[in-house]
Amino acid sequence: MHQVVQAVILGLLIGGVYALMASGLTLVFGIMKVINVAQGALVILAAYLSYALFSHLHVDPFLSILIVTPAMFVLGVTVQLVFVRSLRGPDAPELSLLVTWALALGIEGVLSVIFNTTYRVSNPSYADRSWDLFGYQVSVVRAFAFLASAILLGLLSLLLTRSRFGRAVRATVQNPTAATLLGVDANRVQTLSFGLGVSLAAAAGAVYGVIYPFNPGSHYDLISRLLSIVVLGGLGSLGGAVVAALAMGVIQAVVAVEFSPTWSAFSFFVVLLTFLLLRPQGIFGVRERTL
Amino acid sequence: MTRNPARIAVLAAGGVLLLSALAAGGAAATHARAASGPIKIGISLSLSGDFSDPGKAAQRGYKLWAKVANAKGGVLGRKVQLIIRDDTSSPTQAATNYQTLITRDKVDLVFGPFSTLLSAPSAAVASRYGYAFIEPAGGGPAIFDEKLHNVFFTQPAPVVQSADVFAKFLLSLPASQRPKSASYPALDDPFASPIADRVRSLLEKAHVKTTYKTIYPSEGTDMGPVIQKVASGHPDAVIAGTQSVDAYALVKAMVQQKFNPKFVFLSNGANNPAEFPSKVGAKNVNGIFSTGDWFPQAKNPGNPAFVAAYQKTYGAGAIDPGSAEAYAAGQVVEAVAAKIHSIDNKKIISTLHTGSWPTVEGVLRWNSVGEPQGSDLLVEWINGKMYPVYPPKIALHKPVVPKPAWGK
Repeated sequence: MHQVVQAVILGLLIGGVYALMASGLTLVFGIMKVINVAQGALVILAAYLSYALFSHLHVDPFLSILIVTPAMFVLGVTVQLVFVRSLRGPDAPELSLLVTWALALGIEGVLSVIFNTTYRVSNPSYADRSWDLFGYQVSVVRAFAFLASAILLGLLSLLLTRSRFGRAVRATVQNPTAATLLGVDANRVQTLSFGLGVSLAAAAGAVYGVIYPFNPGSHYDLISRLLSIVVLGGLGSLGGAVVAALAMGVIQAVVAVEFSPTWSAFSFFVVLLTFLLLRPQGIFGVRERTL
Repeated sequence: MTRNPARIAVLAAGGVLLLSALAAGGAAATHARAASGPIKIGISLSLSGDFSDPGKAAQRGYKLWAKVANAKGGVLGRKVQLIIRDDTSSPTQAATNYQTLITRDKVDLVFGPFSTLLSAPSAAVASRYGYAFIEPAGGGPAIFDEKLHNVFFTQPAPVVQSADVFAKFLLSLPASQRPKSASYPALDDPFASPIADRVRSLLEKAHVKTTYKTIYPSEGTDMGPVIQKVASGHPDAVIAGTQSVDAYALVKAMVQQKFNPKFVFLSNGANNPAEFPSKVGAKNVNGIFSTGDWFPQAKNPGNPAFVAAYQKTYGAGAIDPGSAEAYAAGQVVEAVAAKIHSIDNKKIISTLHTGSWPTVEGVLRWNSVGEPQGSDLLVEWINGKMYPVYPPKIALHKPVVPKPAWGK
């Protein structure tokens, strides 16, 4: 039992970080029907920015969120304006898949040139510490990462429920045409939301770089995980993404401890497929009505 | 139009015959070339892509050897000229590059690219044209399983046997210090898990109990749960088949879970002095064992001169063993050419299968498929530095056992 509880703790802590990454992906999909497959690469880009700030200017990786997030917001807005917005017509979602994939490969290439392909990790002084809670080991870095993710997701939720921008976003998710008729500037909402999605990737990246060693190619693994989280949670559902990410963390950790790490990634997909057979719209997704 | 299988078979057979004829022609052309002008050596290297860092390390070694050799007047009185083509870390491109180097650039000799993945298909191309394939970085089973007779791997031991030296070291300890139990987590990789398996079989024969063994997948595995399971068996030793990123994550997970076994061995990742301390924290390296094929302090033939020349050319930073391995390939050619007074590939191949060859990697000998017959060196991190500690005759420091606490 002790083993399982310890694994659940490890899984929840890491799941929180994945929730933060996935939140940006699901938000952008909900509003624009764009699957941003560059989300993983953007996480890694932010991890490098945070790493560079830490190794050259000794900025704490968690504090670097305050610098990296706004910078990446600007990048996100620019990408949306230059590449994504110009895609029109019924094929726009499929085209956006290609455009964002090109973006991912571009980011990977630039990072390989600047930072080479060796693995990096930010090692702040508290990286090795852990708390002993009732006989369970809780890594300080992972606890901070979980806490930072929870705070940012809380802020995001406040933004979406309490602000005028948030209302416009939710209106656009529910019915873009009606939202436009009621005076919501859909273009502006889309651009700002894309920027927001990228800045969530940025915050997650700063945190990711403290927990895992990464290199420019790390985004392939990330994006496959993020897409499965978003699908399990229900495309466009923020709450769903959070629940799915935590579930992924816990399932993988428990399976790794109780059975074998070989099956931990696979087991999550078994849960995903079973769930989708029973509830194709995901945990909190809405079934689309057709005439 | 219907396809006639017999006709296709005939065409295919014809194609194969034509290719073999061309290949034979190529080989004949090589042997017939006049022995004048510089000796051209063709190399495909990963100068871009995933393996660009180790690829460039090998490039530094090759170039340094050519520079040093040319300063002494070259090989057999002829200058050495390296022709290096970038393979972008792709095995197909590497094979194509060797084809081009041999048939179009008409090089006299070839040296190997980086890693087994690229060396195996490249060695086959070289073999087809009758070229010796002296290679510094392809030490995995995939290359030796091809059973080619033109391959010569310029490191002391094949990769899967690299950790045998750790098992020998443990069994050389007095019974009171020897581990009673061990756990074997290993990466799902041909360069990682077979190493741990070999050590396990050696130790099980010596009655060291296995508390746990597992294989974890390569990408993005969270090592937290893996180490949690390893720690639950309270083993005296953790012997892990690792590459790089998983080795770092494994150490960090052990530190965070305050799990400090008496022995920690990591097959790879921990033997990189330039990377390991910065990834796991400089205070967490002490007492960790790994293996290595080369050290700056080693007294191997030509090594002090190599280190001095390297630092003069590239600065005083840490030297990647990949540079030494590539340099050794050059030393082998120099030695064999001096012995047979020729750079004829056929003669080189037959000569290298006999005798022993002094290099910065040690004195090398090969079996018929190019597997080196030596042993790697056991290294341990002591006071923040990596030292060869076993076998005793090459040790620069006494091994420290059991492992000190993390952070000490």
